Amino acid sequence: MEPDPIWLSAMWGIAIAAVIIFFYGIYRKARLARLGVPEKRSDRKGERIKSLIVYGILQKRVIREGYPGVFHSFIFWGFVFLLIVTGIVFIQMDFGFYILYGDSCNYVTLLADLVGLMVLAGVFLAFYRRYIKKPSRLTRRREDAVALTLIFLIIITGFLAEGFRIMDGQPGPLCRTSPVPHPLDDALWSPVGSAFAWFFGLFMSDGGSLWPVFWWLHMALAFAFIAYLPFSKLSHIITGPLNTYFRSLRPKGALRKMEFKDDMETFGVQKIEQFTDMQLWDLYACMECGRCQDRCPAHLTDKPLTPKKVITDLRDHLNVRGPVLLKNKEKAEEVPPLVASVIQYDEIWSCTTCRACQEHCPVFVEHVDKIIDMRRSMVMMESSFPNELNPVLRNMETQFNPYMMGNDERADWAEDLGIKVLSQDKDVEYLYFVGCTASFDDRNKKVAVAFAKIMKEAGVSFGILGTEEKCCGEPLRRIGNEYLAQTMITENINTFKKYGVKKIVTACPHCFNTLKNEYPDFEGTFEVIHHTELLSNLMKEGKIRPSKKLPSIVTYHDSCYLGRYNDIYDQPREIVDTVTTSKLKEMEDNRRSGFCCGAGGGRMWMEETLGSRINEKRIQHALDTRADTLASACPFCLIMLGDGIKAKDMEEKLKIMDVAEILASSIEK
Amino acid sequence: MNIVVCIKQVPDTAATIKLDPSGKSISEENIAYVMNPYDEWAVEEALQTKEKFGGEVVLVTMGPDRAEETLRTGLAMGADRGIHVVDPQLAGTDYFGTARVLAAAIKTIPHNIIFCGKVAVDDNAGQVGPQIAELLGIPQVTAAAEFEMAQDGNSAKAHREVESAMEVLETPLPAVITAEKDLNQPRYPSLPGIMKAKTKEVKKMTLADLGLNPAEFGAAASRFEVLGMSMPPKREGGRIIEGELPEAVKELVRLLHEEAKVI
Repeated sequence: MEPDPIWLSAMWGIAIAAVIIFFYGIYRKARLARLGVPEKRSDRKGERIKSLIVYGILQKRVIREGYPGVFHSFIFWGFVFLLIVTGIVFIQMDFGFYILYGDSCNYVTLLADLVGLMVLAGVFLAFYRRYIKKPSRLTRRREDAVALTLIFLIIITGFLAEGFRIMDGQPGPLCRTSPVPHPLDDALWSPVGSAFAWFFGLFMSDGGSLWPVFWWLHMALAFAFIAYLPFSKLSHIITGPLNTYFRSLRPKGALRKMEFKDDMETFGVQKIEQFTDMQLWDLYACMECGRCQDRCPAHLTDKPLTPKKVITDLRDHLNVRGPVLLKNKEKAEEVPPLVASVIQYDEIWSCTTCRACQEHCPVFVEHVDKIIDMRRSMVMMESSFPNELNPVLRNMETQFNPYMMGNDERADWAEDLGIKVLSQDKDVEYLYFVGCTASFDDRNKKVAVAFAKIMKEAGVSFGILGTEEKCCGEPLRRIGNEYLAQTMITENINTFKKYGVKKIVTACPHCFNTLKNEYPDFEGTFEVIHHTELLSNLMKEGKIRPSKKLPSIVTYHDSCYLGRYNDIYDQPREIVDTVTTSKLKEMEDNRRSGFCCGAGGGRMWMEETLGSRINEKRIQHALDTRADTLASACPFCLIMLGDGIKAKDMEEKLKIMDVAEILASSIEK
Repeated sequence: MNIVVCIKQVPDTAATIKLDPSGKSISEENIAYVMNPYDEWAVEEALQTKEKFGGEVVLVTMGPDRAEETLRTGLAMGADRGIHVVDPQLAGTDYFGTARVLAAAIKTIPHNIIFCGKVAVDDNAGQVGPQIAELLGIPQVTAAAEFEMAQDGNSAKAHREVESAMEVLETPLPAVITAEKDLNQPRYPSLPGIMKAKTKEVKKMTLADLGLNPAEFGAAASRFEVLGMSMPPKREGGRIIEGELPEAVKELVRLLHEEAKVI
């Protein structure tokens, strides 16, 4: 088929129209996202390009899940390859600029044929999953079907066109446009097309005029795909990688600091345009794969929260509200705050901020910070939060702890242990930041004692702040009371500075995360380590020598704020493995997929009245390993999972201990 | 609707109380102060009444300079302005003196209804509210567990919990209502509320401003004298009686009879 000038210009016309529609669609989305407060994320370009390659092109997160990972890769890499091939044909044919010389066109033709088959296989696998296996996290709307059908039709019409071309004995587009014509062996280089040709040969003697028909159909569908893309879930092809490139590179555990000024009237996010533009772009990156939902402890215990729905509900709202705001922001009619209208109150308060959703999102959508932003407005603007938090917040104000206790009792656990208090002797290497839970909760006081004794035994120079210590601010920040949190943070930092503190060790992952990742935003940069890190180092240095191996069978529960937020997975496991006779048993969900105990995000102090209990679900995972000891490295987990064991009446079968306690019992003489 | 709430600053119930060396009062060292919890229910009820009927909520307190923080807490919750009676001569004033001061302050402003806490958690006297009513010559309903104002604003209904029953009273206004525990769910001040509270009016008044004779107030004029205070005995841990059930029961009965002397 020689390119007819009329047809050729028609193709150019369609192509240009498709591209214009494509860019218009992207522009429309970008315009809506830019209604948000500008947030700059153009720093650290090298790192950004790297994550684009690793997570975008190499699909590192997508392929973590076998089945969908495989078919998505088939379709994605297939399309990328076919796009490149189409590009080569286009350049060779329309510009006469030759890329493929010699025999290479044959190999590329063969590869393209096989890749087409691979994409078809991907489409079938995807179709089977969504429409026959029907996992609960997937929706089945029209656009889901349209997207798959479109991909299927593009490939199949390609093969049909190829089959009819081969029937007509014409050379393939790659070799035809090459400068040196090649002898053809279609059966060898275009096996799939040849198979189609053979099949048509059963019914007709020649291809008639069907080759150009399908060739044009193939082209038209490809351009339709381009034009349709930004208006459908296919837009993730553009928005996903962009979101990956512009992902937050702040420490995972650092919430955005709020600035408080006297003339401020709103705090937190009540309206969609109060999110940042980057947060709004997130909404368009989501292609609703539902991996977040499958990992959400709230969703998995039948609470009304699904991270996916939070994102899609906000997106749908932006799509409706955005154009109104674009028209005239000042004159736009007021709408009620997001919570209670777009997002439900119970969704916001069910979140444990465990971050499993974000860890598994292939395109780096950030669910947690949006939920916290909405909580900020709930707490600071509307004073609307679960009633149980009322006394907690009040006690924080006057006694600087969430346990309804007087702050003067904070150091009672340390009495008679001969522990230095910085107000008397500040000449120590480490400040041991005990944290409220180990200071006030009887079970966790034992952990503080065990850890302090080990440090003394190992000759670590450390001291505590005693009654000068205040809540680190972590639960307050996650609850959304940023104002009160900042009071605590500032006061603690001033105390640290007063005593010239340089290094801080804490046994609480929540304190650890906030001290390490959030205090620097408040001009408080210290070297912060978790007790499992310190203990692991002390063991390696030979400063702690376990005198006996414990006969326990241990499983380890990853704390969200130690594991997912701070990537500390190995040290606690190493400690347990070194001091026990049998190898550590892993639970069903571990390391970055660790299942929350249910206490994060301030949920420690809220009633769990909806759905089933998170801690009991987690205890079942522990029981399934048949371990007799559950190791934890977090005071919240210790309480929640301890309660879970009691609730399941399994105290005979399973006991819970902090890693420091396990280590302490192995060095007892 | 002119709504007045009498509030008192008290030591935080979470704080550990220590006695002053004199043994006649508590040590004020390292103590955090809060609004008396019963007064929070009173403030909340006042705010809800204002939300329904409109008008103004005025907080009245008597206390040292630090009591202003507690006024600000109430203002942050949404009250409109405060009156702080502060006078060095007031130190050591008894309940009746306090009631006289508060009643005099209330007389300076229009008042359709006066809310008080049923009792202050520091001295547990529960006298000031009723005495204010007497001094103003208006009716009172103490320990209201439910409160409802009539549509015309001229009368109100209040429920009182009495032994295994609920008593419903109706009173003409103005009246004094003292708040029982859990009358409502007090709101947590919003941040804009806290910001606004910083600039709301707090009127400082002395005994002279109220036209009261300073000699009738203060420790010297008190109708009672604190002879001494003592800490309650330390709570001892529970005891678990080991052994076979029949013997354990016998031992338990013996201990209840001989040691605890309850049977």
